[in-house]
Amino acid sequence: MVFSSIPFLYYFLPVVLFLYFLAPRQLKNSVLLLSSLFFYAWGEPRYVFLMLLTVGLGYVFGLLIEKFHGKRISKLFLALSVISSLSFLGYFKYADFFIQNFNAATGLSVPLLKLTLPIGISFYTFQILSYTVDVYRGTAKAQRNPINLATYIALFPQLIAGPIVRYTDIESQLTKRTHSFEKTAYGIRRFIIGLSKKVLLANTLGELGEFFMNSGEKSVFFYWLFVASYMFQIYFDFSGYSDMAIGLGKLFGFDFMENFNYPFISSSITEFWRRWHISLGSWFRDYVYIPLGGNRVNRARLFFNIFVVWFLTGFWHGAEWNFILWGLYFGILLTLEKFFLKDFLAKHKVFGHIYLLFFAAVSFAIFSGENLSQSISNIGGMFGFGDIPIVSAEFFYCLRNYGIILIIAGVSATPLLRNILTRFENNNKRSTVINALEIPVLLILLIVSTAYLADGSFNPFLYFRF
Amino acid sequence: MNKQIKNITATIVFALVLAALSLACFLKPETAFSASERRPLAEKPPLSSESVFSGEYMTEFEEYTVDQFPFRETLRSIKALFSTKVFGKADNNGIFTADGHISKIEYPQNDEMLKLAADRFKFLYDTYMKDKDMNVYLSIVPDKNYFLAEKNGYLSLDYKKFIEDFKESVPYMQYIDIIPLLSLDDYYFTDSHWRQENITDIAQHLAKEMGIELPSEYTVNTLENPFHGVYLGQSALPKKPDTIKYLTSETLDDYTVTYYDNGLPEIRDMYDMEKAAGKDPYEMFLSGTSPLITIENPNAANDKDLILFRDSFGSSIAPLLASGYKKITVVDIRYMQSAFLGNFIEFDNQDVLFLYSTTLLNNSTALR
Repeated sequence: MVFSSIPFLYYFLPVVLFLYFLAPRQLKNSVLLLSSLFFYAWGEPRYVFLMLLTVGLGYVFGLLIEKFHGKRISKLFLALSVISSLSFLGYFKYADFFIQNFNAATGLSVPLLKLTLPIGISFYTFQILSYTVDVYRGTAKAQRNPINLATYIALFPQLIAGPIVRYTDIESQLTKRTHSFEKTAYGIRRFIIGLSKKVLLANTLGELGEFFMNSGEKSVFFYWLFVASYMFQIYFDFSGYSDMAIGLGKLFGFDFMENFNYPFISSSITEFWRRWHISLGSWFRDYVYIPLGGNRVNRARLFFNIFVVWFLTGFWHGAEWNFILWGLYFGILLTLEKFFLKDFLAKHKVFGHIYLLFFAAVSFAIFSGENLSQSISNIGGMFGFGDIPIVSAEFFYCLRNYGIILIIAGVSATPLLRNILTRFENNNKRSTVINALEIPVLLILLIVSTAYLADGSFNPFLYFRF
Repeated sequence: MNKQIKNITATIVFALVLAALSLACFLKPETAFSASERRPLAEKPPLSSESVFSGEYMTEFEEYTVDQFPFRETLRSIKALFSTKVFGKADNNGIFTADGHISKIEYPQNDEMLKLAADRFKFLYDTYMKDKDMNVYLSIVPDKNYFLAEKNGYLSLDYKKFIEDFKESVPYMQYIDIIPLLSLDDYYFTDSHWRQENITDIAQHLAKEMGIELPSEYTVNTLENPFHGVYLGQSALPKKPDTIKYLTSETLDDYTVTYYDNGLPEIRDMYDMEKAAGKDPYEMFLSGTSPLITIENPNAANDKDLILFRDSFGSSIAPLLASGYKKITVVDIRYMQSAFLGNFIEFDNQDVLFLYSTTLLNNSTALR
């Protein structure tokens, strides 16, 4: 089930909220767990058992790791936990990728498994890994109540598209969390803003992408328009999901970490990755980069560490070479910035913004491809390769059709509106107006988003690869 | 407003809105048909373990919740207005408004579809006409975007190329050009079709090119009920409906019109007044979707027969063409197999006219 759908908004969510607030405190997690399993089974009826098995293994290994804490066998249980979790991920997500490449390299024709990727497996695998690793490190206590651990892993607000919530971040909230009108009102606001970002902005921009993909009249400018639109589509889709997840978390009393912080205002790739998919970046930092030695190693080893982290970051996004290229592309840019460009970019902010937008655009051209050849073709198109015209009638039409929404998207991707609202809130008179307008504006956004969904408008789910 | 009061108000308002809409979703009786979109709405799917484990139930349930959502018509209008007025989109789901007309973008030229149509026509020609002494004509009706789209900055077919490409693929047909006689006024404001009262000159021109003279005197009649054209419902925008006018004359009144909807002949009126009051009043012309119809004209000045292969544009012009022939046979191969046509029609020395719109040729999968 996806958040931006009528079944979720008007069937599932109201019933779950009703049951949750009706349930006594000791049963709230059970209500959340059962709801989450139903939520997951709605989209993946068969794979719900796989998720439960993964959770069960995480639970048992967590207890064993803690029981033998400080002993060598504890490390063995951690290794088993990591191997078992990654085996499921590897089998379902990467098996066909390896078979295809094996076939290509050897000339053999090992049949593909053609498995459907269990939705959210990359997210919940990383959450289980963070749990068992943290128990091993002693930074978290093993969860003795299987319902609480399963609730953490399966919690529907963050199950299919993140943020990747660390166990340590919500360990205490699993047993003690507060509910208040302040939290609820914030959750409602955050959820509706996220829903609007997804339904109104991302989906409308997605129409342009769909039109471009099917176009037989591509041109250089049309490639650039597509890439700009795609960049904003992914941002509003993904950050919209994160907003909805954080908002829903608040409704149920949880505080999830922020996942996006206006990444397009960055003036370097380094800064961009501090603002984009923050929970993934910090996960790789804490569970891969630092264990490999981080920065405190010789230069050759540092290059190796950076290569591993960005290879894995790319590969996590999808089992295709273009995602690996995408990850390594960022790895190279980050290395260049670390050793050569950091000071220059810090001094020349305007250049930095242009530099960031240009290289981010190229990265999204790589990301938008179904495979490596399509990614290369997209980049080639942006720079006029392939005997294509500079402009085309379709480019002009799309510019006319989506020009205003691209401007709205561009402005909404900056903190301009937030800063204006903050300034107004600090002024007593204006603050009254803003407070009075907030509920009607949110209501309008909810109605218009519902209108788009009831019209059956374009509403893609982009996380089937994760 | 105090922050705490605002938080309490927001919680109560949204809890009420969510509860009310949720209850409405659960309790609202099902609507079977969407008159504005002219399509049946999804019904609640039956629950079974197979449909649940295959995911089919969930997909169908989602379609059901979308189709049956309370206030859906109003919400569709809100979406259309928001999309065009706030986001400034030139079209909403491909539907656009220009020069007082509502239309749908027909773009790009689909060469595969043109080939499919040409192959269907070639099959008909080879099977039934090639070895006979038959004059085979082709005329292409441009959709109204010919007069509307490019001029208003919308994506448009290159009609000249489209027609030339299609003509080249059917070299055995003599092409009759009707475009110089057409204008935007000949189409309904809210529908894709042309107006019968405005195409008498087209009928005369087609007949003349095929060597027939048609009478030009008709009585214009007006339907009382409004005509909400196909694009009006799709656009979900508030707009005045059209009015349907239809032509009668002494000659037309004497026709014997036989429909073969189920293979068996049934004599009915040329203008179906029941359909005129129904969901798509344009279907009043030859009862809309009929695979095979014959119109016999006892007052014809000659013994000539015409076989008209057509789409829905043919429904309103066929009665006019019939006034020049002893008999015309109207065939719609969207609703019958071309291979079975020989069981119903004896191809001899009739004139044959293929009259198709650009929209149908560019989306020809329905041709059988």
